[in-house]
Amino acid sequence: MQNIVKDFGHFRAVNDVTLKIASNEFFTLLGPSGCGKTTLLRMIAGFEMPTKGSILLDGAGIASLPPNQRPINTVFQNYALFPHMTVADNIGFGLKMLGRPKAEIEKTVADMIRLVRLDGREKNLVTQLSGGQQQRVALARALAPQPKVLLLDEPLSALDLKLRKSMQIELKRLQMETGITFVFVTHDQEEALTMSDRIAVMSEGQVRQIGSPWEIYDRPAERFVADFIGETNFLTAEVVSVSGDRARVRLASGAEIPASFPANTTPSGKVTVVVRPEHARAAPVSGASVLRGTIHDIVYLGTDTHLHVVLEDGTPFMVRQQNARSGPCGYDKGETLGIELSDDVAQILRD
Amino acid sequence: MARQFSVKRLPGFSTIAMICFIGLYMPIVTLVVYAFNAGTSIAVWEGFSLRWFYSAWNNTQVVDASIRSLQIAFCAAIVATVVATMAAIATTRTAQYRGLTFKYAFINLPLLVPEIVTAVALLIFFSQIKVYTGYSGLGYLIAAHAAFCIPFAYLPIRARLESMDLTLERAAADLYATPFQAFRYVTLPLLWPGILAGMILGFVISLDDVVITEFVKSGGQDTLPTYMLGQLRRVVTPEMNAISTVFLLLSFAIVTIFFFLSRNEKTS
Repeated sequence: MQNIVKDFGHFRAVNDVTLKIASNEFFTLLGPSGCGKTTLLRMIAGFEMPTKGSILLDGAGIASLPPNQRPINTVFQNYALFPHMTVADNIGFGLKMLGRPKAEIEKTVADMIRLVRLDGREKNLVTQLSGGQQQRVALARALAPQPKVLLLDEPLSALDLKLRKSMQIELKRLQMETGITFVFVTHDQEEALTMSDRIAVMSEGQVRQIGSPWEIYDRPAERFVADFIGETNFLTAEVVSVSGDRARVRLASGAEIPASFPANTTPSGKVTVVVRPEHARAAPVSGASVLRGTIHDIVYLGTDTHLHVVLEDGTPFMVRQQNARSGPCGYDKGETLGIELSDDVAQILRD
Repeated sequence: MARQFSVKRLPGFSTIAMICFIGLYMPIVTLVVYAFNAGTSIAVWEGFSLRWFYSAWNNTQVVDASIRSLQIAFCAAIVATVVATMAAIATTRTAQYRGLTFKYAFINLPLLVPEIVTAVALLIFFSQIKVYTGYSGLGYLIAAHAAFCIPFAYLPIRARLESMDLTLERAAADLYATPFQAFRYVTLPLLWPGILAGMILGFVISLDDVVITEFVKSGGQDTLPTYMLGQLRRVVTPEMNAISTVFLLLSFAIVTIFFFLSRNEKTS
């Protein structure tokens, strides 16, 4: 996709987006509602025409083709199953429209039913199925014509938590087994991190960062990405030196730590550094302490304990500590403690 | 405990309700009862008999008029339904634009035009065509009936289209269906109950029409209602009651069939 722009009246829903999605990739568009991710998806499917820019599939421009002439299928948010048809007829619909012979349709439908584990449900009307089963019919229906790209528009948002988790694994399995390129739209960061090969984080119609789940989480390029995905501590710091792809920064406490920075930038002067809460450790104040602060609040979460610390300069800082042993964490409110960081966990944000 | 307000507890509720029901149904009950009168009066009971049903059945004028009524209603309902379906699709499957509301009003306007005005207008219009073409068959009546049936057929079809999920048609297009295939395999099957409702409504309305038919019909083109109107000017026998009773049963039958069809739709 090159320089895609989409306007609705005076509202610019998608602003100059350029994306390259590799084949066989599980690619996720992640962002809050209204960020333009669904509009982008609809333009790939053909339900919307880009105001400007071009969409290429295997090198051929498809932006002006109607949806039925694109080898791309969609799993809709509300599934959009045909209520007057059986499970088998729903799954076979695409192939029927393509005019494939009956024997081939029957065989593919049977394969698909097995793939999504709906054996014995072929003759049921889709309205008789549960939400999770409908979801799998929608998947099978979109996969049956073997599209080059499968688009998924927040397909898991209507399912309850347990089902959602198992569908996430299921989706990843289907993508591996079929080798079809998946483009997944979601506002759920965990979903994106779990399944994707690469993630594009979007906000206000623009792509903020593209990278592997690891890069997006540990090496956020800007404040929006760092803030939107997971929980983060923001620290102000000053760049001391830069060598190669690492910089040394001096924190407000006076400690100097190494930090990485986004590609194609050269950090200097005052910068914002982010540290994930689980990359910090609380410990008695010692020479290894990078930061010092007072415990403001302790939140027990079962698997973890969150220590909300206020640093000496007044900056809030959170430490996530895994509850490796049973019992309370051993700290009290108001206690002063030191914070140590794991190696190479700080990341400098752009601008 | 505050009891839920119920209109039933208002004084005189049951009395008024009874009066209304008697007012609505007593005349019909009387009509049906006297269809079985053995005598020639529609007011004096002389014993049970089916003679007036036989008499109506053997009256060629009645049979001819009935067949004509059904022919016209059938053709008019089909024409009106086809036109109404196209109109409903055109007005619902489009982006909102200025003048769309005006278009809705324009389609439904015939409902508000007094029937007598439509009747006179059609009489004049058709008589001119008759002069030019020389044709004087049932076509005029069918066209006239179709015209006033369109808004009746349009309303349920449009309601059905509006309540339908648009993403279904999108999904069809996504799955390689051409616009026509999407209509044929997805929209039409789901729209069917609406189309059927529109057609039945049109059929019943057409069957019932007197005013427009009276003006538009040529000689020897009496429909059942206009024939009955003509008869009432002369001698009134229970034959009229018998015809009306059959008519009533027919209407019940149609409504009942439709009720069961649409209920099956919901349960499946």
